[in-house]
Amino acid sequence: MIDIQNLTVTYGGTPVVQGVSFQVGAGESFALVGESGSGKSTILKAIAGQAPHWTGVIAIGGQPLQRRRDAAFLRRVQMVFQDPYGSLHPRRTVDDTLSEPLVIHRLKDRDARVLAMLDAVGLSRRFRFRLPHQLSGGQRQRVAIARALMLEPEVLLLDEPTSALDVSVQAEILNLLADLRAERKLTYLMVTHDLPIVSFLCDRLGVLRLGRLEETAEAASLRRAQLSSAYGQELVARSGAEG
Amino acid sequence: MSLLNVENLRVRFPTDHGEVEVVKGLSFSLGRERLGIVGESGSGKSMTGRALMGLINRPGKVSADRLEFDGIDLRNLPERAFRRLRGARMSMVMQDPKFSLNPVIRIGEQIGEALQFHRRMPARARRQAVLDVLEAVRINDPERVYRLYPHEVSGGMGQRVMIAMMVVLEPDLMIADEPTSALDVSVRATVLEILDDLVRRRGMGLLLISHDLDMVARWCDRILVMYAGRVVEECAAGKLHEATHPYTRGLLASVPRLNETRHRLPVLDRAMIGAGT
Repeated sequence: MIDIQNLTVTYGGTPVVQGVSFQVGAGESFALVGESGSGKSTILKAIAGQAPHWTGVIAIGGQPLQRRRDAAFLRRVQMVFQDPYGSLHPRRTVDDTLSEPLVIHRLKDRDARVLAMLDAVGLSRRFRFRLPHQLSGGQRQRVAIARALMLEPEVLLLDEPTSALDVSVQAEILNLLADLRAERKLTYLMVTHDLPIVSFLCDRLGVLRLGRLEETAEAASLRRAQLSSAYGQELVARSGAEG
Repeated sequence: MSLLNVENLRVRFPTDHGEVEVVKGLSFSLGRERLGIVGESGSGKSMTGRALMGLINRPGKVSADRLEFDGIDLRNLPERAFRRLRGARMSMVMQDPKFSLNPVIRIGEQIGEALQFHRRMPARARRQAVLDVLEAVRINDPERVYRLYPHEVSGGMGQRVMIAMMVVLEPDLMIADEPTSALDVSVRATVLEILDDLVRRRGMGLLLISHDLDMVARWCDRILVMYAGRVVEECAAGKLHEATHPYTRGLLASVPRLNETRHRLPVLDRAMIGAGT
């Protein structure tokens, strides 16, 4: 579903991602892990079209991406951001946020689709006309996930989707993501620094360090704490030390 | 003798819908040990820390049956007297160095400011004291960092600068409110090690406030678990996994593990906990 070949991304002439290649199959959940500055978020941005200077091949469903992302691409690929406090428009109601993609893509049955989506992400219908500041962090992240799903994409790009949330709320959102993936046959590409989340939600992972891909591994190897690269093992050890 | 004695601490804020109590009768004592307060957003853990430092401003109200720091009654302590305590005898490390350091003052001068306020000493000695404390928080080239502005250092370095500023006067009590949550995973352990080392070597009392159960269990001697303004559980850090309160158990269970095989994570039943406390 996602095919990345020899991807290099530069910011102001400095390469931040260098020669990265990996594939994510349809319905698979793949994680990119690494520290700040490893380039993991930059890869998501390159796919989403937010990092203009990249070379290599990014193909979604067999179609290589051009410089511009067209409407058809956005129907297939959507993104959920880290901070639900920053990613929702503060003066638009939940209904506005969820309807906007439908308006842009000229889809019908807006009313029914918004209500169905609120049910799908476990938000009570009474939240439909609320503003973001009237919602908790977990409810906001549900809205952000609902917004991303409005166009019924096949691929979700998840950038640290739970790191701004409390642990008990994190569990709810992780369950929601697992359920949605099973119900809708979604493909996930997730960026995180939290290895246990990878164990819970993903099938495979790629370990990034200083813009290069150190290894890709099965999540099963991660659960047994058996990554092959030295750096991967260091991350696992540190994750254990952190608790 | 305990460093800190707190009995029935309450913090209240007026709102449009009447007064809201965010800390509801907290009691604990702290010796020269490491005490952790864990809880989620809105549990009142940060407000507890701020109340101890005298940092709850009007219209917020703080009351307690007893609020003593080293025998000094902090209730109704005049602001002037509080300023003599803060920094010198009790200090607080905040969450995010980006927002807690003054962006237009060089790092060395910011640290020196506390010394200047609390202790008269010649400029040269003050400079040396700042360089020493920068070295104590494992900054390799203190001379260079002394001259930098806060935006020129990384998050981990910024947090070490914050800690340096807080320990330069060798306080007796250190309150660290989420000292690592704004930091990258790779530097969290380093920052906590530095904090831990200072606490042990200088015999400080540490109050570590965090939402991270595992981190607190690892770095503290004792733990208070707060929920909705109350302490629901108190235990030795090593025995956290034997916790009995449903909230604590629920929190522990909801964290994914590295060897995770569950297909669903248990979710807190808030209604049940609400009834239980």
